[in-house]
Amino acid sequence: MTDLPYRNKTADPSNHGGGEEEEEEEDDIDDSGYKTQKDAVLFAIDVSKSMLQTPTDADPKKPDTALCPTLAALKCAYALMQQRIISNPNDMMGILLFGTEKSKFQEGDEETGRGGLQYPHCYLLTDLDVPAAADVKQLRSMVEDEEEASKLLQASTEEVSMANVLFCANQIFTTKAPNFSSRRLFLVTDNDYPHAANRDARNSAAVRAKDLYDLGVTIELFPISHPDRGYTFDRSRFYNDIVYSATPSDPDAPAPLSSDIKAANASAKDGISLLQALLSSVASRAAPRRALFSNVAFEIAPGLKISVKGFIILKRQEPRRTSYIYLPSDSDKPQVAVGSSTLMAEDTARSVEKVEIRKAYKFGGETVSFTMEEMAKIRNFGDPIIRIIGFKPMDMLPIWANIKHNTFIYPSEEEYVGSTRVFSALQQKLLKDKLFGLAWFIPRKNAVPTLAAVYPGTEKRNEEGEQVMPPGLWIKPLPCADDIREPPETNSIKAPDELIDSMRVIVQQLQLPKAVYDPSKYPNPSLQWFYKILQALALEEDLPETPEDKTLPRWKQIHRRAGPYVVEFGEMLEKHYAEWQRENKSSVHPTTNGAAKRSQTSTASGAKKVKTEDVEDEGPSEEQMLAAHQKGALAKFTNPQLKAFLASKGGRASGKKADLVEAVTGYFETRMNVD
Amino acid sequence: MAGKEATVYIVDCGLTMGERSHGRKETNLEWALEYVWDRITSTVATGRKTALAGVVGLRTDGTSNAMEDSEGYEHISVLQELGQVLMPHIRTLAQNLVVSSTNAGDAISALAIAVGMIVKQCKKLQYARKIVLITDARGNIDAEDLSQIVSKMNADNMELVVLGVDFDDPEYGFKEEDKDSTKADNEEILRALCNDCATATFGTLAQAIDELGVPRVRSTKPVPSYKGSLTLGNPAEYETALTIAVERYPKVMQAKPPTASKFVMRGDMAATQPTQASSTLPNGEAGANDGLAGVKQARTYQVVDENAAGGKKDVEYDELSKGYEYGRTAVHISESDQNVTNYETTASFDIVGFVDKNKYERYLDIDRSNLIVGAKHEDKTTMALSSLIHSLYELESYAVARLVAKDNKGPRLQLLAPHIEPDFECLYDIELPFAEDVRSYRFPPLDRVVTVSGKTLSVHRNLPSDELQDAMSSLVDSMDLSTFGKDDEGNEAEYAPLDETYSPMLHRINQVTKHRAVHQNDDPPEPYEILTRYAHPPAELVKQSHKQLDRAIKAADVKKVPPKARGKRFGRKGREEKPLSDLDVGALLATDPKRNTKRIDPKNAIPEFKQFLSTGADDLAAVQDAVKQLKNIIFDWIKHSFGDSGYGKAVEAIRVMREEMNDLDRPAMYNDVMQELKQKLAKEELGGDGREMWFLIRKNRLGLIAQAESSESEITEGDANDFMNGKLHS
Repeated sequence: MTDLPYRNKTADPSNHGGGEEEEEEEDDIDDSGYKTQKDAVLFAIDVSKSMLQTPTDADPKKPDTALCPTLAALKCAYALMQQRIISNPNDMMGILLFGTEKSKFQEGDEETGRGGLQYPHCYLLTDLDVPAAADVKQLRSMVEDEEEASKLLQASTEEVSMANVLFCANQIFTTKAPNFSSRRLFLVTDNDYPHAANRDARNSAAVRAKDLYDLGVTIELFPISHPDRGYTFDRSRFYNDIVYSATPSDPDAPAPLSSDIKAANASAKDGISLLQALLSSVASRAAPRRALFSNVAFEIAPGLKISVKGFIILKRQEPRRTSYIYLPSDSDKPQVAVGSSTLMAEDTARSVEKVEIRKAYKFGGETVSFTMEEMAKIRNFGDPIIRIIGFKPMDMLPIWANIKHNTFIYPSEEEYVGSTRVFSALQQKLLKDKLFGLAWFIPRKNAVPTLAAVYPGTEKRNEEGEQVMPPGLWIKPLPCADDIREPPETNSIKAPDELIDSMRVIVQQLQLPKAVYDPSKYPNPSLQWFYKILQALALEEDLPETPEDKTLPRWKQIHRRAGPYVVEFGEMLEKHYAEWQRENKSSVHPTTNGAAKRSQTSTASGAKKVKTEDVEDEGPSEEQMLAAHQKGALAKFTNPQLKAFLASKGGRASGKKADLVEAVTGYFETRMNVD
Repeated sequence: MAGKEATVYIVDCGLTMGERSHGRKETNLEWALEYVWDRITSTVATGRKTALAGVVGLRTDGTSNAMEDSEGYEHISVLQELGQVLMPHIRTLAQNLVVSSTNAGDAISALAIAVGMIVKQCKKLQYARKIVLITDARGNIDAEDLSQIVSKMNADNMELVVLGVDFDDPEYGFKEEDKDSTKADNEEILRALCNDCATATFGTLAQAIDELGVPRVRSTKPVPSYKGSLTLGNPAEYETALTIAVERYPKVMQAKPPTASKFVMRGDMAATQPTQASSTLPNGEAGANDGLAGVKQARTYQVVDENAAGGKKDVEYDELSKGYEYGRTAVHISESDQNVTNYETTASFDIVGFVDKNKYERYLDIDRSNLIVGAKHEDKTTMALSSLIHSLYELESYAVARLVAKDNKGPRLQLLAPHIEPDFECLYDIELPFAEDVRSYRFPPLDRVVTVSGKTLSVHRNLPSDELQDAMSSLVDSMDLSTFGKDDEGNEAEYAPLDETYSPMLHRINQVTKHRAVHQNDDPPEPYEILTRYAHPPAELVKQSHKQLDRAIKAADVKKVPPKARGKRFGRKGREEKPLSDLDVGALLATDPKRNTKRIDPKNAIPEFKQFLSTGADDLAAVQDAVKQLKNIIFDWIKHSFGDSGYGKAVEAIRVMREEMNDLDRPAMYNDVMQELKQKLAKEELGGDGREMWFLIRKNRLGLIAQAESSESEITEGDANDFMNGKLHS
């Protein structure tokens, strides 16, 4: 098979599971296997009279608190949609309103005219799909424009059949998101007892809920209470017959923490608006992602084996890659072009099957080749395993010993019963005595083996009691001798104790909150900017002007808290540096080109500023350059010389020789103009 | 970056080198060549034009050297002039480095020739000059002109290495008994020669060969990844800002194994010539002597077009431009706007604040580490940097800083950690994750069990008993590596320190390519011991901890799940499928008039298929009927698919059928359906040419259920592989 659509491998830059193949040779077939590792979320939002009623105790200062539950749910869906386009660009989302006066199903059915009749009082606002710009726009107009919203948000006088709503969702999932590993129905309602007087209707709904369960769809209930009306949502009346406890379809999904489904309050009783409550509730139900590896043997010592699963919890997220876009001549609607690649022999241009391929290495001007079979044997260091070969104290794990993101592991009972207790005993021991295990680590078949540190992590919870970091063990692949670089030659000058003491005060003044680094406080400014611009372009809006950057230091605060100490430090530095110079008599450095050059000694008192221009010292002098410029002989300088000169003038120093010469010429020309 | 180097190997090919001494299987020459080839191929592997090597044969049958007309220079042949060695040279050398039929030839003359080769080639240029002499010292050695050669070598900074076949070496611990007197005398001459040379090594060959397995680590010249200032505060706005001139270098950079390129048998040879185990070929040139041709990727692009056949049309690469996807909307960005998505920044390195070292979690390290030192010749700020390093160290703190390594690069946050050695101080910096880089996964606590009812248990089968905790604790303590190793003086030291571990794949690939370059028809050798040394705990450690291990195994009481039971756990039988309320949905289904007909509704095919099986799993006819119905539905979906709209549903149904049949131990029913499906696709009976559907089946790994997966299956692994990998249209 030659027509593998290569997007399967590369289209998902934010991926988390399957795309982890950097060290491996490409496999015959995509390694992700079995089911598409994507999530499809369908919001089903109740549009009853009570859901459309604004709370009576709204806080006029907080407009969010005045939203009716339906609009709050739509706003939540809108926020989630925008967020998922960024974080999970291949995931699907849809919005189904139920209990509406109007009815509408998928586009295709409209032609037959049956759509509305099939599922009365169900209105498919956004069909389940990867969201398009138009979907975002439509949803925004709903949440931002009351008039627009009120056209659609009309509660039906007739009660909607819950069995129908659930079957409608079933059909949407079946047709639009087949084979997804995660399919979830987010049901937002304040009605805990539909079909109060009709037992059969309730039973039909239970049957349709079972269908969804068998289809592998999880129903996530977002119940709403109305404290201002004295109404508390009671799940046991109806919804406990509808909701099942766990995802049946994906045994690899991490078991969810048994979190209570607490009803959100429609009115902001404790200062938390319904929207906020829904948003945090949605966030806490992030899609169960597939494990990076499953049931890899974890050998703690010879004969003591358990099974674990691996997850990537922390990994740098890159902006989307560029795509190839096709602009049809007869339309202004750009389309994404999907590429596919075929292997071809260079001599005859015939297409080549994978099995025919041989691997060859460049060697001595020629190549040395191996058959695929030999290659497989050479690369084979055994089955996937995490094998501990002994233990060391954590302080033998230097801070620099890191080559890439770490992998989280958690026990699984699937291969070895008893894995969890053994894992727990090990994790607790390592925590208690601050130890790590040194392990031989082969994460997947044919993966490159590495030595890794297996070290414990504790459970972390935020102020609301939500788990933000799970308890378990982490695997840190270690650098080997080949990976460790020599430090450059340096001229070490140890600061005298008095100066260190002075710096200590400054450091103590500028602790981050709780003296820890909390990633959630720092969104990636360039990534956020990228998506903001992309969204504006996609929605054909004005481009935003100022980026928000939370990574910038709080300069004002630094000035206020540490300023006086820095001034003190600066003075002390002057003093000690002068002393050091006297002792070392080395204020004059010979430079490589033989010229002597004074190092920077005088700066304004108090604040020290050292200009970076003087860092480079190998560039030709300005006079030499100017002379050459006037003679048109700039090209006689070497690229490093030109670069050094440009760098010292703060100019851009890159590119080919011609570019550099041009840059230097430009420098002199503009300077002369100024003169 | 390594400097220029020139090495001449003098290889003794005399008659006595053909002997097999001390019970070795190979001849002395073959043994010596093990070393020579390793060294030469290592040089070849660098691919550097400035890494020169030459080979002089000593005691060869013929004579060919610059002094061949002079007396005393007989039986010395320059087999490889000093230069970059390439594959053809290796082949020629391999033919010429053979045992001769003479014992005549003077090692010192050969040394003179080697010196001459280096002088001629290197002149006064910057080269690391080296001569390696490998001999059994059983020829005649004329020590007369020695002093002259030695002074030339010392004047030109030439290093001499003498490796002797079975030379005595008390340090290595080898002494040859009954050594013949010529050899003993010659050994003394050579030893004295080495003592006279400024830089020389005299050793026994066995040691050199022993050490071949220890990989050589390539050193790289440090290149700064940032040069500029590290600031505390904003110097542009406040007088109280502190600015330190720094340079940042990589501390860790993963050395990757060389990558292989792809080749195929050339079209005109493929039919006639069976695949050879080995071959070499000139770089990418078609028409080489080994019948291999390069492989390239041809890329085609398609866009959705409802009017085109198959719903897609091809577009040319030239018609495409760059853009992005926002959700499923294509966003076109014109050439002039290319940079609009870039967040504009200027290169800078700003301290954001400080954190407590003891509260820092190591899993926050998300990238390789770097180091920061004071900029050259910036003594004053280097002193300031030193005070920062020392105060962080004393306060057990780290700094967090925002780094923009180059203009318009995205800002990153880095952790700065102090490092102090007697003559070296630096900050190590490691990238920290942003909010977007953290994925939310939740797992239950490991030290307690919280039940559904909200109770917290401290005794549970998932929690370790006191005995297990204690046994684990002593096991871990007994496997301590912190003093298990030995340092050079034989003192206790850390076992497997980082700088004594080597990248297994990198050196494995180097090992086999070097081997194949010389031994074209041999199987690749086993990996060097050092590459797999750390794959297992050291045997001695295992021995000394076996009591603790036995106790831990007993306390752990871990049981392997038999493969059979594993599938079942996710099947119907292992799990009560009830909603939270325990409502008996099964009873409701049983009374549902629509479902009593036992006709699967294609609209609700998967749930109904599963439900029929769960009520009639023991009724063979019922199962057969359900499978048949689902099969027809699948075929229908494929046949009436518009574009690929029905394929996804079909794939899902096939997956469900596969899982269910596996659980019910009825693999044959599924396998039959798949074989029928493949046939129908091949015969194009299901609309279209079937290729796309077949690709989806392969991609989703929905092959036959083979014996490894189900003992009930009659399909072997091989059959299953053939089924999946065989072409659809044969």
